[in-house]
Amino acid sequence: MKILIIEDEKSLSESMSAYLSALDYHCDIAEDYNSAVYKTEYNDYDCILLDITLPGGNGLKVLEQLKKDKKTDGVLIISAKNSLDDKIKGLNLGADDYLSKPFHLSELNARIAAIIRRKRFDGNSVLQFGNITIDTQSKAVTVENNQVELTKKEYELLIYFLSNKKRIISKEAIAEHLWGNDMAGNFDFIYTHIKNLRKKLMDAGEADYIKSVYGMGYKFTMQ
Amino acid sequence: MKLLAKYNRVNIPITIITLLITGIGFYFIIHYVLVHQLDKDLRIEQEEIIHYIKEKNSLPEASNYKDQKIEFQPTNDKDFKTTFSPEDQYNQKEDETETFRKLEFLITVNGKNYIATVKKSQQETEDIIQLILVITFSVIVFLLLVLFIANRFLLAKLWEPFNHTLAQLKHFNLSSKNKIELQKTHINEFEELNETVLFMTQKVKRDYESLKNFTENASHETQTPLSIIKNKIELLLQSENLDQIQINAIQSLNDAASRLSKLNQSLLLLAKIENHQFENAEKINFSCVLNQSIENFEELAIIKNITIQKNIDENIFLKINDSLAEILVSNIILNAIKHNFQDGKLKIDLSLNSLIVSNTGDDPHENTEKLFERFKKDSSSGDSIGLGLAIVKTICETYGFVVSYYYKERMHIVKIVFK
Repeated sequence: MKILIIEDEKSLSESMSAYLSALDYHCDIAEDYNSAVYKTEYNDYDCILLDITLPGGNGLKVLEQLKKDKKTDGVLIISAKNSLDDKIKGLNLGADDYLSKPFHLSELNARIAAIIRRKRFDGNSVLQFGNITIDTQSKAVTVENNQVELTKKEYELLIYFLSNKKRIISKEAIAEHLWGNDMAGNFDFIYTHIKNLRKKLMDAGEADYIKSVYGMGYKFTMQ
Repeated sequence: MKLLAKYNRVNIPITIITLLITGIGFYFIIHYVLVHQLDKDLRIEQEEIIHYIKEKNSLPEASNYKDQKIEFQPTNDKDFKTTFSPEDQYNQKEDETETFRKLEFLITVNGKNYIATVKKSQQETEDIIQLILVITFSVIVFLLLVLFIANRFLLAKLWEPFNHTLAQLKHFNLSSKNKIELQKTHINEFEELNETVLFMTQKVKRDYESLKNFTENASHETQTPLSIIKNKIELLLQSENLDQIQINAIQSLNDAASRLSKLNQSLLLLAKIENHQFENAEKINFSCVLNQSIENFEELAIIKNITIQKNIDENIFLKINDSLAEILVSNIILNAIKHNFQDGKLKIDLSLNSLIVSNTGDDPHENTEKLFERFKKDSSSGDSIGLGLAIVKTICETYGFVVSYYYKERMHIVKIVFK
């Protein structure tokens, strides 16, 4: 799947590209307004990561141009401004989501995955990992036809893990994803959620995929 | 004391004393002039009598009119000196004492000495003096009345630009966008005051603005490097075969970067609220926001086995920006869960007038009044940066809500009163 990263800060675009490439995305990078317009015009992307403050023009104009050309690329706005105005404007112009800096790469990836799911399958996609099947439409989770009853947060956690397979996700990233808050360094809650999720999946007959890594985070992996 | 009262306190006695002194002075001057005039008349009478005696060598007839009496009395006192003197006479007819001016002088007719007495009534003079007194007092009363009315209305009107300026200053709010508007006045002193007020408030506002902008810009500019740091840490974390020293270093880096990022975001949020960048305050269903927020954190409460007691009135509408409402509510509820005991209690009451969130938890350590100040935190709360409640307070202030904290019956209570 192809992703265009429109970002003038080289270190940032490199990090994003490195993280996403490891998840088998093909990443293009545009560093200014003109190359962004050029690349969006001649290519189709599954998702475009759009920084609003660009050298040479406002990122929102790239979005306007896309919509004018009736392109269906998913657009995730990334802004350092965290300004409500930009958010509302961007979403009104047809962006799919909005993420403010600084963000976790795992969060970025989860958002991209959600956008692509919505775009590709009209939200009707079924996720599969090992014996786990998730119908993202009905939010039903099954393991070999055994229904797994998850709480809302456990479900969100599972989706988050599946979007960032084989990657180490830090506890802060999980906390922010689940509650929009870093929980002030109190990660007991995450530990409990993960313990419960792991138990429910294992009770349904699945292997334990959630590995604690270095005490800093978790990794969802077969090995 | 009001300036007007102070002014009156000096002005009115001075006016009264001045008028009294003038009245008394006037009385004596008029009295002197009139008596002097009367004495002149008496002299003329005297000359006429002397003239008469010289011509006719006999005494003129004594007369007794109402306002002029002439009498002669023989005397042996050859050295009698001419004297003027007042004399009171009782008038039976009118039952009153009349004052007369009396001139006594010695005359000699055919070798006989007489004392001639000429009296003229002083009644007219007295009448005039009385009239003057009446006029004087009337003027005092009238003047006081005029002063009173003038103070009441004229001065109030004169001071109006000043009062207007004062009212504007009282409502002056550094963070508010409203400009101070001063009335045009033709009074130099007030004009000067207004110019100074305008100059100072503009200067203060400019300084405040630039300080705020600096904070905001600094925060903005920090976002990108922070993003780079955090992302690189995250990438580093993905590396295979990290040794313990590297892991420890990454962990420390991560913690520090997270705190910095959180601090930065909170400061930016505060700056934005104070900059009124959350303008679109529409009436929103606050009950919904509250319920959603509770739902978001409900599982956390379940983990701690906290009993949630909700008493939320439906359809409470408040005029507040929806993002800020969410931040406000989630900050309070998350606090109440985080600082709660295992098996604790959480009580949430929402009514038309107030939101009250009470929770069990450790006894408060420090001065609870300082809880809403920036960077004040309970020592036990570890990595918390102590801005959560400051944000709550700033949001409340923006919308005129009154937020308070107290500890009662072993419950921490945060109360927000809407207006």
